[in-house]
Amino acid sequence: MAEPALRLQGLSAAYGRQPVLEGVTGSVDPGGSLALIGPNGAGKSTLIRSILGLVPVVTGTVEVLGTTPERARRDVAYVPQADTLDPAFPVDAFGVVLMGRYRRVGWLRRPGRQDRAVARAALERVGLGSRGGDRFGTLSGGQRQRVLLARAIAQEARLLLLDEPFNGVDSTTTEVVLDVLAQLRSKGVALVMATHDLSIAHLACGDACLLNRHQVAFGPIGQALTADTLKQTYGGTALVLAGGSTIITAS
Amino acid sequence: MLRALVQVLLLAVVGGLVGVHVLLRRLAFVTEALQHTVFPGIVAAFLLGQSLLLGALAAAVSTVVLLVVTTRARRLDQDGVLALLAAAAFALGVVLVSRGRSFQHDLTVLLFGRILTVDDRQLVETAALALVCVVTLVALHKELVLLAFDETAAAALGYRPAVLAVVLNVLVALVVVAAIRSVGSVLVVAFVVTPAAAARSVTRSVGGAMVGAVAFSAVCGWIGLAASYELSVDHGLDLASGATVVAVMTLGFLAAVCVGAAARLVGRWRTASLLAS
Repeated sequence: MAEPALRLQGLSAAYGRQPVLEGVTGSVDPGGSLALIGPNGAGKSTLIRSILGLVPVVTGTVEVLGTTPERARRDVAYVPQADTLDPAFPVDAFGVVLMGRYRRVGWLRRPGRQDRAVARAALERVGLGSRGGDRFGTLSGGQRQRVLLARAIAQEARLLLLDEPFNGVDSTTTEVVLDVLAQLRSKGVALVMATHDLSIAHLACGDACLLNRHQVAFGPIGQALTADTLKQTYGGTALVLAGGSTIITAS
Repeated sequence: MLRALVQVLLLAVVGGLVGVHVLLRRLAFVTEALQHTVFPGIVAAFLLGQSLLLGALAAAVSTVVLLVVTTRARRLDQDGVLALLAAAAFALGVVLVSRGRSFQHDLTVLLFGRILTVDDRQLVETAALALVCVVTLVALHKELVLLAFDETAAAALGYRPAVLAVVLNVLVALVVVAAIRSVGSVLVVAFVVTPAAAARSVTRSVGGAMVGAVAFSAVCGWIGLAASYELSVDHGLDLASGATVVAVMTLGFLAAVCVGAAARLVGRWRTASLLAS
């Protein structure tokens, strides 16, 4: 068995003295996929940032691709929510995808022919091959999310971290993103995805980690997502219906 | 006059390039504050008979260091610290100037600059500062653009946003230092922000904005300088050259905004007629 793409052991993270996430333990294999599920403020983004080495780990360990988060950065790609970026920024879609190549290009050098070819292929992979010259901010929310996914593809990473990639996107984008993620997994890329959409989590991920400032459950999604764990994760906002299914009334 | 023109063109290149990054990173207020915090450094050097450049440089670097240290503490936000530093430094500068013998005259020169009396040594100093800025900006172009667009992704890729931010702040400080003796402590910010803002309103890429900002600044600088010189020499109207250049830049900015808005309207109209047909 290959070593895990991600191994978390009793992880607690904090901003300043305030702990925001405690006791996360689990692992993701190469080609595996983990959904981070929880309400707003549960620590999903904090967990992603600690895997990136951007939030100090107070106790426990984070091992990424067999090493520290800082050393693994070249092989880890981060996909933010598209609407966190300035739509007025003067850069076109192709320019954004090319940013995924910067670490490979190195200091003082410009992206070469090979980098441009990889970026073009990545943009085509997300169905936006003809939109490379469009300014990033003029694309729809879903298209911008696909451009950011293309940037991660162009990075040729072995671990992909996605922060709510399906938030407010159109059905075409949902289909394309699910398809691309499945293809990346088949090539051995591991995924960690924060989401509040339980049906998407089922479609895209094999494992789930339920969070509410601490770990509620971690394991195969069918076992981790139960009425009981959802109630623990979402508190009073989780409603158990007569048939046994659970709905989240607010997150 | 020729020296003044060369000085304006050098400032156009460096101000235009740095200005685009200043707008992308929303550092206009930092630039505004720097031009005031540099003031006491220049006054002190002036009174002590030392190089104004070194005085300005020392004050600018101290500002950047103070800014980084105080905002890292997180108890104060950057805007608050900047406002405080700018006011305090400006007061200190005025107190120092008032110790001099020809208070009014000295204050006017320091506040509004004297571009027409620029000498060869100042030109060499400006060229050296411009060279440092341009080389650094070219070398770090893609990293600075990435940082401005998506700071978290830049950090995730292993870049150090804090280090890149300090480098950019130092570059802004160098431009302020290079320009302050020509256009004075009150108008420097116009050389950095106005050309970039004008270029941003009519261009679609960072590279385009940089070329546009430099060209805009050079043309406005030349027109402003020529106008103030002609009016002073031929018509006896004594116009301050630095201020005239800034006034021309402001008019140019308004024109650019109108051109940009008109282009967008035409674009929308074309799209609408394409969809209709």
